[in-house]
Amino acid sequence: MRAYFGEFGGQYVAETLLPALEELEDAFNRACQDKRFNNELVSLMGDYVGRPTPMTHAKRLSEHFGLNVWLKREDLCHTGAHKINNAIGQILLARFMGKKRIIAETGAGQHGVATATACALFGLECHVYMGEEDIRRQHTNVERMRLLGAEVIPVKAGSATLKDAVSEAIRDWISNVDTTYYLLGSAVGPHPYPTMVRYFQSVIGNEAKKQILEKKGSLPDAVIACVGGGSNAIGIFSAFVDDPVELIGVEAYGKGDGMHAASISFGTPGVLHGAYSFLLQDEDGQVLPTHSIAPGLDYPGVGPEHSWLSATGRASYVLVDDKEALDAYALLNRLEGINPALESAHAIAYLATYALRNKGKTVIINLSGRGDKDLDIVLEAGI
Amino acid sequence: MIARSIRKSSYPVIPYITAGLPDLDTTGKILGALAAAGAPAMEVGIPFSDPTADGPVLQQASNLALNAGFTMDSFFHNLIKWCSSIPMPIIVMTYINPLIRMGMERALSRIKDSGVSGIIIPDLPRDASGVYRMCSSMGLDLIRLIAPTTGRQRAKEILSQCSGFVYAVSVMGVTGPRDELPDGLVKQVDSIKELTSIPVCVGFGVSKKAQVNGLLDVADGVIVGSYLVSNIMSSPDPVKAVTDAYMGLVG
Repeated sequence: MRAYFGEFGGQYVAETLLPALEELEDAFNRACQDKRFNNELVSLMGDYVGRPTPMTHAKRLSEHFGLNVWLKREDLCHTGAHKINNAIGQILLARFMGKKRIIAETGAGQHGVATATACALFGLECHVYMGEEDIRRQHTNVERMRLLGAEVIPVKAGSATLKDAVSEAIRDWISNVDTTYYLLGSAVGPHPYPTMVRYFQSVIGNEAKKQILEKKGSLPDAVIACVGGGSNAIGIFSAFVDDPVELIGVEAYGKGDGMHAASISFGTPGVLHGAYSFLLQDEDGQVLPTHSIAPGLDYPGVGPEHSWLSATGRASYVLVDDKEALDAYALLNRLEGINPALESAHAIAYLATYALRNKGKTVIINLSGRGDKDLDIVLEAGI
Repeated sequence: MIARSIRKSSYPVIPYITAGLPDLDTTGKILGALAAAGAPAMEVGIPFSDPTADGPVLQQASNLALNAGFTMDSFFHNLIKWCSSIPMPIIVMTYINPLIRMGMERALSRIKDSGVSGIIIPDLPRDASGVYRMCSSMGLDLIRLIAPTTGRQRAKEILSQCSGFVYAVSVMGVTGPRDELPDGLVKQVDSIKELTSIPVCVGFGVSKKAQVNGLLDVADGVIVGSYLVSNIMSSPDPVKAVTDAYMGLVG
């Protein structure tokens, strides 16, 4: 299995972790070939997660923008976001490897809830690292995790957001590597995580392609998804990479100049959390603080495969700020009766710009999660 | 130079301190005092925003140094002075990203040209041969880490691209004092010694004189970091505090 996407990716980790990454890659390779593993995965995706998720033709939204917009409804997954696809896949892998203690990081709390859910389903011990700032702004997800039997461990270090939660999870893993499975939630981190997370999320793209061909009879002109670490985007992009379909990742432009989380648009290559990829950093290589109203996008790095898709020109990465995302959140509620996560609202918001030069084109938006968790933030912002 | 200095030392305890804590002037004074106290070599850490291999003490140290205005320019400016005034070898410890940002080759040669003897990078890529080639062509020792989880084959691979000394990580975990070190440590050090002729130094978790004494029975040197740095952070007179703490370990 390749550890790099072009020059991006790799394994820049403490020596203590290298054997664990080898063991993980080996187990993942064997699991992919294992009939029982795959049967169990398919059956849980259907009977527990609720797949395939629908592809909704957003008629009023289409009229509004003069486009033909389809929504891939990951918000209808069990637990309310695409994160469960990866959590279930990796929890099966953890069981396959005989690991009983699960750790995870979470930003918006969606991955934490998904991991806590998967652990509850199999009776595994679950510890979720979450930045204090995120605990404050996504407290309903914190309560959900606790109900599911997980321990939520507050992270005070640094900016007390997703980046710091990942760092703390890595430290836990270094200290407990014999017994512990680190269930990383995005397409970031050292090899094999980016490849593995894409594998478990590729179900989104595979379904979407089949559905659009059935419903519309042709491929879309573009596929649009929000990008923080980039797991929902890579999941839907993966099925269309070899097709004549424009791939657009939407980065969080936050409050604009210097207060955003747009790693590809404004970053430079560097190493954070074990992989070489685009990174928001200063001239000395210190990682910069980030801001996005969407906690799941509030991360200074990005998955290495996205860096590669950008560097090769196969995908483009664009900007949507807090205000545009909030407006899109409200718009989708009003026009389609669908409440998107603030993360996914970034993808919706980009339609306004896309429509300027692409009237009448067919677009799939990956609606990666639902927005109940964001109600406090949205009300606070006066929407 | 590093290996020779360790071998020659009667009490080879290598101190680690975070650069710029509380400021770079004080760092220079601390290094001078530790050299006078008999340290055979000294590790100076470049503070990093996201030190994933470090425990709470060194995380806090990094934060404080960065908040106090540490920059790479000011670091290099001081590094030259330290290296020219201190007779013992100086080793730079840094996460890889600041080097990548500067350009790996340029960063390494700036470090070498400052008079530094060796470098430790805790998050080198799995295949570190590119970095090793650059270091060895410059005459800069690349000190590698071997963990308790490292297998024999990987240990051989590491040792074939390692010079100065090899850093045996004592515990499964991040940096920071431990009350007790693992039972298997003696065996781990012995098994590394079977594979190499360069000094084997043990680090992570060491904070007590008894631990140092025990380790020096089996290893060629001991590295002490968090314990000394916590003394820097807790005292109004950091130079005296860290020197006293060091003397307490070796005296």
